[in-house]
Amino acid sequence: MSIEQQYRTRAKELLSAGEVKMVIGYGAGTTAERRRPLFITSPDETERLVLDSACIANLSGYLVTEGLLSDEKRVAVFLRPEGIRALNVLAAEAQLDPLQVVIIGFDLPKGELKALQGSSVDDFTALLGALKESTPDVDGRELLEKIEKMSPEERFAFWQEEFSKCIKCYACRQACPMCYCRRCIVDSNQPQWVNTSSHTLGNFEWNIVRAFHLSGRCVECGNCDRACPVNIPLRLINRKMAQEVLDSFNHFAGTSKTQEPVLASFKKDDSETFIL
Amino acid sequence: MTKILFTDKLDSCVERWRSAGMTVIGPVQRANSSVYGAVKSASELDLNLVLTDRSIKELFFPQSEPMLRYAITKAEINTDEFLPPSGPRIIFGARACDASGLAIDDPLFGWDYKDEYWFQRRNESVIVTIACTKADEFCMCTSLKLSPDSTKGSDILLRPLENNKGWQVEELTDRGREAFKSVADLLQEGSDPAAATVTVPEKFNADACAEWLKNPENFESRFWKEISARCIGCGSCTYLCPTCHCFDIQDEGGSFEGIRRKNWDSCSFALFTMHTSGHNPRSTQSARWRQRIMHKFNYFPGKFSANSCSGCGRCTRECPVDMGITETLQEISKLSQ
Repeated sequence: MSIEQQYRTRAKELLSAGEVKMVIGYGAGTTAERRRPLFITSPDETERLVLDSACIANLSGYLVTEGLLSDEKRVAVFLRPEGIRALNVLAAEAQLDPLQVVIIGFDLPKGELKALQGSSVDDFTALLGALKESTPDVDGRELLEKIEKMSPEERFAFWQEEFSKCIKCYACRQACPMCYCRRCIVDSNQPQWVNTSSHTLGNFEWNIVRAFHLSGRCVECGNCDRACPVNIPLRLINRKMAQEVLDSFNHFAGTSKTQEPVLASFKKDDSETFIL
Repeated sequence: MTKILFTDKLDSCVERWRSAGMTVIGPVQRANSSVYGAVKSASELDLNLVLTDRSIKELFFPQSEPMLRYAITKAEINTDEFLPPSGPRIIFGARACDASGLAIDDPLFGWDYKDEYWFQRRNESVIVTIACTKADEFCMCTSLKLSPDSTKGSDILLRPLENNKGWQVEELTDRGREAFKSVADLLQEGSDPAAATVTVPEKFNADACAEWLKNPENFESRFWKEISARCIGCGSCTYLCPTCHCFDIQDEGGSFEGIRRKNWDSCSFALFTMHTSGHNPRSTQSARWRQRIMHKFNYFPGKFSANSCSGCGRCTRECPVDMGITETLQEISKLSQ
């Protein structure tokens, strides 16, 4: 039986037994290569679920849809390791109760579909721990290396050109499972903290504020990058920040559901003394 | 007798238009994204695309536009108005869906208040549209009673010749005729065979959809929740749309000094309808998606007798969760049967 068929069967069993009220998975999209988020609530619909190498999007963001988990019923969700990391971050930041989430895990090493065993975040601790130690498989590594070699002026010019395309649609924010704030800083207009204009300053403000906000939280699923309608290589900024946080604080976001948020915690033996 | 513009003469045309003081604009690649941008020579133009990523809208209704500078002192209040940069422009290589999008928005910007920013740019621009010889699965102009060689909103329509040799020239307006008069000696009289215009299958019945949308009983239909469950509320569909025209006016700077700007805004955002009381009349994403569809296919046609959609398909093409207008109207077509 294919992994897809196994997972459909599992989804059907979970829904039939009343163990979950919904399965969040992937369905066929407008074109043969496209997949779309699919919400299944009846066992009869599970044949619509698709699982293959085109199922890239991280679906964990839908778990924090307002009201979804408020009735304490469980929801099953198709997640890659990045999605499981995101679930841990959301749990660590008290956005959801991970016990309400049944993970239907899979991975796509080199584009090949692989099943992951386990259903609760704790079942994946070893897998995520190994991820921390491995060299990440980064899309756009070549470009990243090129940017690293640039002088600060060249790098500034590079990002200036990239950000000049930004249309402030905030698709990056909306696609990101970590961007769950009920009210984002750019939606605050009394006072207006960040310019809403898509001029140079406004675009830098938005993209850099977002990169900082995601430091130590980004799980590098690439949702932002794929959502950007003008192809700004957003994940390169997040990759850089993730590496800085790993190097400086030995912090790899989303390794456990009780992990302390790196930018929201303080230890007495931290080397910086200026805070106290 | 038809006039022909051969591809190898285009660069001389660009040069001629530029030396006559016109800015020449067309589809170009900019940092891995295709946009309408100013060019110095024909070689910069990317005329082989199905469609640019970004629509023509921003050339007439920029995403951020300064309106006035204000300075308030104890003695007086000073304001300096910004006017849109003036000067003639020729936009070479628009697609019919983008050009018709401009024509769709003209009555909107000229209705109760004549938007001088829009009309100055409209009046100073010559739109040279190239009929489409290719399309993709997202194109849907024919469902909106338009076509890959629609003349709506264009000053010149070019029909590509076979083998990319050039274009048959159809002059549609005085402004178009005027711009092409200056390159008359570079055109050739003749009637080389034009390549076939692409066929775009009709995907939904817009009239049937309009009837369904008009029925007040359908306003609270479960359909809206179901179709928009995956919508993440990013505004990319509205920002890429050639006809979406919502904007916000913001003062940037301090209380006493700053710039008032007009910025794109989107009905997809929760903040768009947020009241100062904290109440939001469109508090759910499904209500916001319904508003977008209602606006385009019910309210706008009710007021201006045209759908606020030209069928470019960008809303679906770039949607991170594979939504868009096409599927919604296809489903409404089914419901209305």
